[in-house]
Amino acid sequence: MFRAMAAGDADPSIPGNGDPISEEEALRRLRLTDDPSAQYYAAWWLGRNRSTHADAVPLLRQALSQRRPRDIGAGVEENAVARNAARALGKLGSAAQAAVPDLLATLEDDDHGLREAAARALGELRAAAAVEPLRRRLESGPAVAGAQQPGTPRLQEPCEALLEALGDIGVAPPEVLAVIRPFVDHDRPLIRSAACRALLQLTGEAHWGQQLVALLRHQQLQVRRAALMDLGAAGWRPALEPIASTLAENSLKLIALRGLVENGAGESAAGQGPGTMAVLEAMDALL
Amino acid sequence: MTTPPTSAPAVADLVRAVQQADSAMGLLQATQALAALAHPEAAACLVEVLGFNNPGAAVAAVDGLIAIGVPAVDTILTNIDGYNYGARAWAVRALAGIGDVRGLEVLEDALGKDIGPSVRRAAARGLGQLRLQQLQRDHQRLITARCLQALVDGCRDGEWVVRYAVAMALESLAPALAEQQEQWQRLEQALVQLHRNPAEEAPVVRLRAGLALRRLELLQPAEWPHG
Repeated sequence: MFRAMAAGDADPSIPGNGDPISEEEALRRLRLTDDPSAQYYAAWWLGRNRSTHADAVPLLRQALSQRRPRDIGAGVEENAVARNAARALGKLGSAAQAAVPDLLATLEDDDHGLREAAARALGELRAAAAVEPLRRRLESGPAVAGAQQPGTPRLQEPCEALLEALGDIGVAPPEVLAVIRPFVDHDRPLIRSAACRALLQLTGEAHWGQQLVALLRHQQLQVRRAALMDLGAAGWRPALEPIASTLAENSLKLIALRGLVENGAGESAAGQGPGTMAVLEAMDALL
Repeated sequence: MTTPPTSAPAVADLVRAVQQADSAMGLLQATQALAALAHPEAAACLVEVLGFNNPGAAVAAVDGLIAIGVPAVDTILTNIDGYNYGARAWAVRALAGIGDVRGLEVLEDALGKDIGPSVRRAAARGLGQLRLQQLQRDHQRLITARCLQALVDGCRDGEWVVRYAVAMALESLAPALAEQQEQWQRLEQALVQLHRNPAEEAPVVRLRAGLALRRLELLQPAEWPHG
């Protein structure tokens, strides 16, 4: 499970990935409401290429409201278009602020996957208006929101995405911290990782970073990968050495270290670990 | 006192240990032991480990191949895995680390055409560090010109990590071009563009290009934000 920062990498699950189209063509395909497959790729394309075209956000907002009953096996269904529209809006920065109300509505959708995509997008857009709705979705705690849905590997709520969004938005009133904290004891290490990341981002307290560093030595590669992405997202510089020596792909370590450079405190923040130069040197050694 | 040759673990025994490893940790330890020998006969087995999807063992195998050096190059080149881009990335890393000019064509192709960003990234790094000292001057110029061309093209790569690797590689290629004004200027221009490109989505790429320019004394310290 890769986090927001990894989402920009080539995604082999996107149909027609690599199909070189123009922005105009992407916008044209997104208008083809009877061809969800074309819309699906178009929505992804606009996000991937960070389109600044004036039509991009309005069209993505429309695509976000498209619904059709799930029909697994019938190819790309319309909820998948809405999911990609949400993901794309998350990447369009200030131009996508107009879509925040739509994303907030999507956060209340019955479709778990859509709520997940909307939460991530709201986090990427740093939408302060989302803090309270995100908090409410998690409020029932690990025993309810964090309980496994019968018959699926999913939890009742997309907890990982909700926690990460709260951390990314960066607004930390005590009632938000109080709702996040119990998730650091969740059964699943990926949820623990997401909760520690959010608390590290929101409080800057080193012990959350240390818990993430401990997860870098977890026996499951999937958990080590998540902890790498989470440390990168939080930009926690004291993790430089542990990240560089984690048993995981260099690609992920490089993403994490990029996060330390771009999200981390610079040299001026005494006691917050190594400086930019040291991080760049560690990146060079991993290429 | 001399050590009898039988006390050193024989390559064949350590190769067998790698082939028979039945856990990720076992494979890692066996690979580390084999790599530590830096023996040319270990090359084929180390190349095989690159395809096992065990990053820890692959790191050890790459280190071993680089330690073997030039005698491992043929084995690596004849076993490039066209279907597994993870394995290919590690093989390209090994070639990059050894720096043998016989790898040039593989590195050019990889940076220009490979679908795996990790392969392109490793190839870019390798194009900056081929070992040219033993070659005649004309041959050196031919090779550095090809490296520079591949890296200049690589500045337009769609993945930030590849552009980052290109910035680093341009820095390491620079000394070989110091006496060729035209080539030097092309290299400087490429780095300046990476450093100042307003469309660059990854600030870390601009920072890395800035660091390269500063180290090559092509940039005033004031332009480096973290001086």
